[in-house]
Order: sequence, then structure tokens, then C-alpha cells
Amino acid sequence: MKRRQGGDGAPSSVAARLRGTYTRPTVSAPATVTDVLDAAAVRAALGRCRVVVERHAAWLTRLDAVLGDGDHGDNLVIGFRAVDDMLRAMPDETLPGDLLRAVGHRLVAAVGGASGPLYGTAFLEAGARADDAVTLDGATMASMLTAAADGLARRGRSAVGDKTILDTLAPAALAFSEAIAAGASPQTAIGRAIRAGARGARSTRPMVARRGLALRLGERSAGHLDPGAVSCLLLLRALGGR
Amino acid sequence: MDRIPATPPPADRPEAVDQLRQRIRWLEEERRQAFEEAQREADALFAQYQLSQLLASGGSVGELGTAVLLELLRLARAAGAALYLQREGDTDLVRIAEAGNPPSGAGPDPAAGRFDGIEAARSWIAGIPGGRVIALSESDPTTLLAIWPAADGELDDDGLRVALLARHELGVALTGARLREALVQERHELGAIVDGATDLILQVDADDRVVRLNPAGERQLGVAVAETMGRTCGDVLGCEAAGGHRVTDCPLAEVRISGVPIAYRETAVRGAGGSTVRMAGSYAVTPSAGAAAAGATAILRDISAAKALEDLREGFVATVSHELRTPLALIRGYAESLLYLDLDPGQQRQYVERIDDATGRLAALVDQILDITHLQADPLILERTVTTLPSLVARLQGELDAAGSNDQLVVDLPVELPDLYVDVGRVGQVLSNLVGNARKYAPDAPVVIGASIDRPWLAISVDDEGIGIPEAERGLVLEPFHRAWNVRESRIPGTGLGLFICRRLVEAHGGRLEILDRPDGRPGTRVRFTLPLADRSKMDGDD
Repeated sequence: MKRRQGGDGAPSSVAARLRGTYTRPTVSAPATVTDVLDAAAVRAALGRCRVVVERHAAWLTRLDAVLGDGDHGDNLVIGFRAVDDMLRAMPDETLPGDLLRAVGHRLVAAVGGASGPLYGTAFLEAGARADDAVTLDGATMASMLTAAADGLARRGRSAVGDKTILDTLAPAALAFSEAIAAGASPQTAIGRAIRAGARGARSTRPMVARRGLALRLGERSAGHLDPGAVSCLLLLRALGGR
Repeated sequence: MDRIPATPPPADRPEAVDQLRQRIRWLEEERRQAFEEAQREADALFAQYQLSQLLASGGSVGELGTAVLLELLRLARAAGAALYLQREGDTDLVRIAEAGNPPSGAGPDPAAGRFDGIEAARSWIAGIPGGRVIALSESDPTTLLAIWPAADGELDDDGLRVALLARHELGVALTGARLREALVQERHELGAIVDGATDLILQVDADDRVVRLNPAGERQLGVAVAETMGRTCGDVLGCEAAGGHRVTDCPLAEVRISGVPIAYRETAVRGAGGSTVRMAGSYAVTPSAGAAAAGATAILRDISAAKALEDLREGFVATVSHELRTPLALIRGYAESLLYLDLDPGQQRQYVERIDDATGRLAALVDQILDITHLQADPLILERTVTTLPSLVARLQGELDAAGSNDQLVVDLPVELPDLYVDVGRVGQVLSNLVGNARKYAPDAPVVIGASIDRPWLAISVDDEGIGIPEAERGLVLEPFHRAWNVRESRIPGTGLGLFICRRLVEAHGGRLEILDRPDGRPGTRVRFTLPLADRSKMDGDD
């Protein structure tokens, strides 16, 4: 199937990567993430989430129609539009942590389905970890990602291997933390995190679901990508500017 | 981490500083507790939300039960769980789903997960260390959830609380799933009956529009279900065109309005290929749910074969009573005259000739009746050979010569005619029958035999100048025992079998026999029939 090519080729490359037919582009990713993130950079990253979710909504909904109730893409579009509108209304001097916490609350409130509370929890936890920092450095980002994964696991009572969002988020957070600990720049760490997340998203295909609506399918849930794991990868890429 | 206002401590009052520090610790602890409480509440709410989403997702009892149990296992940190549902019309409880590990201590539940009543189930669960039983619904039907921890663990109270809060929802969802299953099963069974029936079953809504037609109906009407939906029943069945009944007398509409079922009513519908199919129907109101107006259902059985047999029998009785009795009465009269009257030899001979004539007619009738019993048997066995029409006509002329009645036959054939591949005896029978008929109804007029080539057929025509056959009767005279009204009035004897026999013999060769007007517009009849030309390539293996 031929997918419509976006300006940066993202729609086809994500789909192709998850199908295992992807060849790596020779152009390197734009360096939008510097060593530290300020509030403006966080806002920009969150704005990219809306664009990516809108672009891939139909695909996510199609994936969700197999395993869930077929509304994941639409739900996320509603959620991130609400987030975008809210961010525009917030004063410029708002701290990154406060921005992220507000995003978390907005997602919980605006998104129908389980993905709202789950992503909301992840942003809330990350925001809480950012606290009142004016800029976010590599170590803070690592701790935020880890907190997001832990919070999501607790709220969803899920573990890696359950065929959920966590299958993408947990390995991505781990890869990011390990890269930072090894002295890599946040830029490099984000690249590794996204690669780990993509492996994680792909790994959900053969899994039998142990959480969420796909539970009722039992063994029949195997053979399909988890829409949550895919949307999480898309969001990570958007946040990382890839 | 915590943002406490950084007012400088009053250095001159150390006890006040301690008090403030104490208070700060106290407030921090309170804040932490409130935060954890809120987290737990949010977790529980989310768990409840996920559970209710699962319950609303439908599925079979087993699927739904297993999914719910897996969810509850994680919620309550349990080692295993099982759901028991009361069987319909019974007090027994049956396990409908299980998940996790079997309980330690109490041993597995009884064979096939069945309990004699709710108390037996409760006492078994009571034997599981740390096990809990939650009644999802107490009656109609009783639904029990048994859940137990691992041997050295215990159940999580927060998780159990979620299960308890959702227990009515759980009960309703499981009962609903079971009802749904029963409904689907019932629908499958009923559907199988309707689809498997050999009778045509048709349902209409309150506007007489077709809402259901079974496969037998599709076959008999030669239509696909999809193209019948939403059309009126009169349009689909073609009752009026087939001479069944007028649209205004529709029995479906009748039962729908009166509510009184019709057990038996005969009608006719337009069958596959436009033929008329005679049907025996029973009609009843289709019960409707709720406020919808009632529709009606028709069950129609094809009685064409039975009707045809009945017609044959009636025709047979009528013909036999007339055609057998008339010559018999003659024979008897002449025989009695011969026996009891003193007749001169000339008269005696005349009477014997008349007896001979009458017995000849009787013999012909008996032959014809025997013929049609053979012809009704399918398939007719033909002894085909290659021959030509002129030789067949010559044979006929020979017969007519012998009978001294060849004077009116006109043979008007093309000079060159291809060979035929037919049963010579049977086709000879057809020709002599048709020529005999023509001569019977127009004794003094010429009878013309013609032919034309219509590959792969040879079309043969026999024209007479008799009284003709009314247009409306032309199809019927080809049926057994039927004689056209103008012939019945003409007092010319006949059995109504001749044309039928001809038709069957021609059809046995694959040809067609039809009755037409004479092409020159003169009064009389043209009988036209087709016979297969000899095709050498196809003759091998043919019958």
C-alpha cells in the first residue's frame, strides 16, 4: 500500500519501519534539541505532538479497530488539539515543569478512552520531576522519562511485555538514561531512545495482550501492533524532533 | 523539592524555630499522605474505568469472563480466580471462566467446575486459604466470583474494593453476554430451518415490502435475495401476472390486516424464467417487537407437479368415459342386432364392419394411453439413425396409399435437405399423427408438408385448412387430454392425446413443437416442429 508522502517523509518511514521494510534515510535528523531545553523548546516539542498525531490518526484508529474499540487516533487528536489550545493561552514565562503538568491534566480531562489517563499520568510525572527548573538538562530529562514510564506502569498496572504503551516507553527511557549516564549528549541519547522505542513498538506485534480491551481477544490479539505502543513511538519522535 | 516559604528563622527564639520545623515536617507528612491517597484514588478510578470499558466491549460469556478475571487478578494481586454462573432452569452453578493458578489447600473445584447449588460453591471457596467469594448477583441467575491469593500472599484490598464496586455491572454484563449467546444460537437454529426448507418462505413488512426470502424461494423465483429486498411482494412473486390472484386480493395483506392466519390457499406465482408455478400457501402474521407494525409470512409449496397429475387424472377420466363408452355402445348395439335380429348378409357385413371400425378406435385409444404412460417416463429411449426427411415422408405416403387416403397430401420440400439424426419410428409417428389430425379436421382440403433449414435444426411444418386452434388454447392442446373448445363442439372424436404425444416425441429429440397461424393468412393451422440435423462430429456418444 502506498501511503501519502508528507513533507518530511515521516508518515511512510514510520509505517515502513514498523513493518520492517524501512531503509534508513541518508539525511541526518535536524538538530532541534540542544544540550538543554528551555520552556520555548518544550512548547515547540509539544506543538509537534499535535501535528504528528493528526497526521497518523487514521493509521492509529485502524490499528485500534483490530485490538480495541477503534478510536485511538481520534482520541489523541482531540487530546493534543486541546493541549495545543491550552498552551497558547498560557503565559510565556511558564516553567517547563508547569507546562508538562498542565498538559498531563488536560490529557486526562480531554481524552476519552484509557489512553488519556495513561499519557496524562506520564506527562504529570515528568512535569513533577522537572519541578521548578528553568531549563532541563540531560540528567533531568532522563529522570523525567523514567518517572513517566514508572507512573504509567503503576496507573495501568502493566509491565513490559503486556502489549501496551509501556513496551515503547520503558525501553526508550532506559536507553536515554543509559546514554546520558555514559556521557552522551541529550541529542545522541534521544536518537538511541527513539531506536529502542521503535524496537519496543515492533515487539508488540507477536505479543498476546495482557492489558486493556485487547484482553478479550486472548490469543487472537497476537499478530497485530499495539496502537498505544505505536502512538507512544510517534509522540517520542515528535518530542525529540525526529 | 518542596517549596516552603523561606522566611528567615527568628534566631533569638530557638524553641520557636523547633516548633516551626516540627510543624513543617508535620505538614510535609500530611501533604505526602494526601498525595498518596489521591494517587490511590486515581488508580482505583482508572481501574474501574478499564473494567467497565471491558464489560461494555461485549463478546461471548467465556471471552468476557476470562478478560474480566485477568483484569481482577492484576487488580487484587491474586493467584487465581474463577466465575460461576447458575445454569438456566437449574440450581447448579457452572464455571464459565477461570484464570491464573488453581487454589492451594482446597484442591481443585469439582469435575467440570460444577456445583450442586450455591452453598456447595461457597463452602468450597471457604476452604481456600485467603480466598474470597463475591456474589455478582444473588439470584436469577446467581453469579459467583471466587478469587484467591498465592499460597504465601494475600489479596490487595484496594483491588478487591474495585471488584466489589463493580460487582453489579459485572453480573449484568455476564448475564447479558449469556442472553446474547442464547439469542445468537436460537437465531442460527431458526435460520437453518428457514434456509434449509424446500418451501418458499417470504416475509413482508407492514407495507408489503419483502424483508426476507429463503434460498428455496430464490431458486424457485429465479431471483437473488438482494434484489428482492424492499420491493413489494406482488412485484417479486408476480402473482397477478401468473394468474394467481389480483394484487388487491393479496393473502399476505389479508392476514396482516385481519390477524387471522390462512392455513391453505392456492395461488400461482411467476417462477424462474417466467413460467407459472402453482403454489399452495399458508399465511400468518409475523409477530413484531415493540411499536413496529406487524408484517406477514407466507410459506408456499410448489404444487405444479401435483396439479398437473390431478389434471391428467381428470382428463383421463373424462376422456375414457366418453371415448371408451361411445365405441363400446356402438359395438354393443351392433352385436345385439346381429345376435337377435334376422339380417340379410349385406346388412350383417355392414354391422360387422362398423364393429371393426369401433374396435379400431378403441384399440387406437388404448395404444395412445399406453404411449403416454411410456412418454411420461423420463428419459425416453430413442433409437437414432441417420435418415432424411424425404425418406420419412415417403414412408408416410406408403402408409397412406395402403389405406387409400393419399390423395390430399402435398409434399413441398426443398430440393436438397441435409441428413437427420432421429428415431425413424418415433418421427414417423409424429408425422402420421399430425397429418392424420389435419385430415381429420379438414377432410377434403390439402395437407402441406414443408421444411426449412435452421441450423442445427430442420424445421418441418404441417399446414391444414381446418377449423384452426384458438390462440388461447394453443399451449393447452399440447398438454395431455386437452381438446380445444371449438373441437369439443365439433363432435369430431378424439382423445386429446395426439398433439401431446407428438410434442413429447419432438422434445425427446431436443426439438420444439409449436402451433402457429398459417403463414398465408388462410384459415387453418400450421404445426411446426424442429428435429436435429445429423452432425457427424457429435454423433458418437450421443444417445
